Amino acid sequence: MKEPILSVRNLRTYFYTEDGIVKAVDGVDFDVFQGETLGIVGESGCGKSVTSLSILRILDEKGRIVEGSIVFDNVDLTKISEESMRKIRGKDIAMIFQEPMVALNPVFTIGEQIVEAIVLHQKVDETTAKKMAVDLLRKVGIPEPEKRVDEYPHELSGGMRQRAMIAMALSCKPKILIADEPTTALDVTIQAQIMELMKQLQREYGMAIILITHDMGVIAENADRVVVMYAGKAVEYTDVKTLFNDPKHPYTWGLLHAIPRLDIEQTRLYNIPGIVPNPLKFPTGCKFHPRCEFAEEKCKSEEPELKEVVNGHLVRCFFWEKVEQAKKKEAGDKQ
Amino acid sequence: MRTETKRMIKRLLRNPSAVLGFSLLIFFTVIAIGAPLICPPQSYDPYMIPIVTWDKTPQPPSTEHPFGVIDGRDIFYGVIWGTRTAFKVGLIVTLTSTIIGLLIGSVAGYFGGWLDEILMRITDVFLSIPYILAAIVVTAFLGMGLNKVMISLIMFGWMATARLIRGNILQVREEQYVLAARALGVNDYLVILKHVLPNTIFPVVIQATMRIGSLVITAAALSFLGLGAPVGYADWGSLLNFARNWLLGASGEAFKYWYAIVYPGVAMVLFVLAWNLVGDALRDVFDPRLRG
Repeated sequence: MKEPILSVRNLRTYFYTEDGIVKAVDGVDFDVFQGETLGIVGESGCGKSVTSLSILRILDEKGRIVEGSIVFDNVDLTKISEESMRKIRGKDIAMIFQEPMVALNPVFTIGEQIVEAIVLHQKVDETTAKKMAVDLLRKVGIPEPEKRVDEYPHELSGGMRQRAMIAMALSCKPKILIADEPTTALDVTIQAQIMELMKQLQREYGMAIILITHDMGVIAENADRVVVMYAGKAVEYTDVKTLFNDPKHPYTWGLLHAIPRLDIEQTRLYNIPGIVPNPLKFPTGCKFHPRCEFAEEKCKSEEPELKEVVNGHLVRCFFWEKVEQAKKKEAGDKQ
Repeated sequence: MRTETKRMIKRLLRNPSAVLGFSLLIFFTVIAIGAPLICPPQSYDPYMIPIVTWDKTPQPPSTEHPFGVIDGRDIFYGVIWGTRTAFKVGLIVTLTSTIIGLLIGSVAGYFGGWLDEILMRITDVFLSIPYILAAIVVTAFLGMGLNKVMISLIMFGWMATARLIRGNILQVREEQYVLAARALGVNDYLVILKHVLPNTIFPVVIQATMRIGSLVITAAALSFLGLGAPVGYADWGSLLNFARNWLLGASGEAFKYWYAIVYPGVAMVLFVLAWNLVGDALRDVFDPRLRG
């Protein structure tokens, strides 16, 4: 059995706001293995991004990790000092952001920003760092890197900026790259290019990627393992094949139904009824019960645990067998 | 970066108002530096305008006194040496009050919480007092003299900068590149210095530049009211103070003593204009967010 390089257990991150406590992340478990891609998927506001910010501990002053552990290299990141944490950020765990438009500092050139990242964690002088920056830009597929290195972010296109972000994140050869919706702000064709680039760099560096997205298609193509999140909780965790072929949580099942398919005649696209609950007023019991078609009385009062139902397949639901029956019925209908 | 500098200079030269502003500024600087050559001092304190006649009536421009004579003193000498006074007051007051404002504003903006609350309420208190009135009261309290005027102008001149920088820091702090810098392992101190300040400093620099000009007007206003420099000090405001009694001209000749107002007045207007144009030009050129 392979050892995970990052394991998150029962992570809970709350924000103490003036309106009350927002339980942005409220019970998330997953493992990340070397060279693999872990997908975190869920609707907007389900806590995907806060999970990644918690791993790096760069939450704003209102947010706090209240429970759980994040073990990286046998060290619990929630316990170490800010000083040691700073040495891990960027060097061992790097992050790229959703909006390449705003994630680069507008007053510095691309080169200056990559050099800053290199000099921060490696003992090299600025001239060497600048050369390394040019090489990195070439590696991420930016044409004329010698020229681009002296350009400002506003002089590059969105796709180029995301490439520059990736170059910056990879400058110290991190063991884990957290990609928070890396392609959401880009055109579809550019999306495919960026994902391909990340895969290629992953093979080359042997790093693990945590891919955060709401796009099931991106997950299907790129992830090895998937965590499905709903209202701050991990509701299902398994490998990508099983998730798509045999979803066990009603929410995942609903999500997969909402994807338009070419092989079936559909007049109207399925959608999960209701909306994501307000994090200040989460429903009691299972957070998904008001929107769940399989919910019973028990779901309103009791909260299910994240349990292993089949080998390596974790589900947070009392009645996951009902989903199985529904799937069988659906298969029967088709025949 | 070198090509960037070249590009900036090119843009400056293309902009006629920037060229005018910088030319005026260079002109005033040359005069300020060359004052001892243009008008050799005649007493131990070069800033005291020498008395050329005991006749208090203004005398029109002549070859000996090209800008005329007022209150027995040479206006030309006053205007030339007054340039130095204008620079001194403008630069020292602006620099000091901007630094005070920067410190207070960035501490309040970055740390937030109760510290922000206290500092901003103090700022509000200072802001609630009318500027000129406060300066008059403080100057009267400290005693007369240019240094006292400068102290009172500094005391009541930092609030706008503090507010401006605090607001900008609050805004920039939320930017994703600040988060991205933290995700790279940059420490808080460097985050403020490298990622927050460069993105917030431009408006402050521009504001400060423009304030240099307007400060000279305020200082002149205090001198005009007799609160600023001592009598006979080379200061544009003091020259206008001399002219106060002759503003209405003589009977039937409203503009008889025009030179008493026009020369120091024009110097002041051009000085303020120069700083305003330079401030505008700096904004256009140095703010990378406005670069197309």
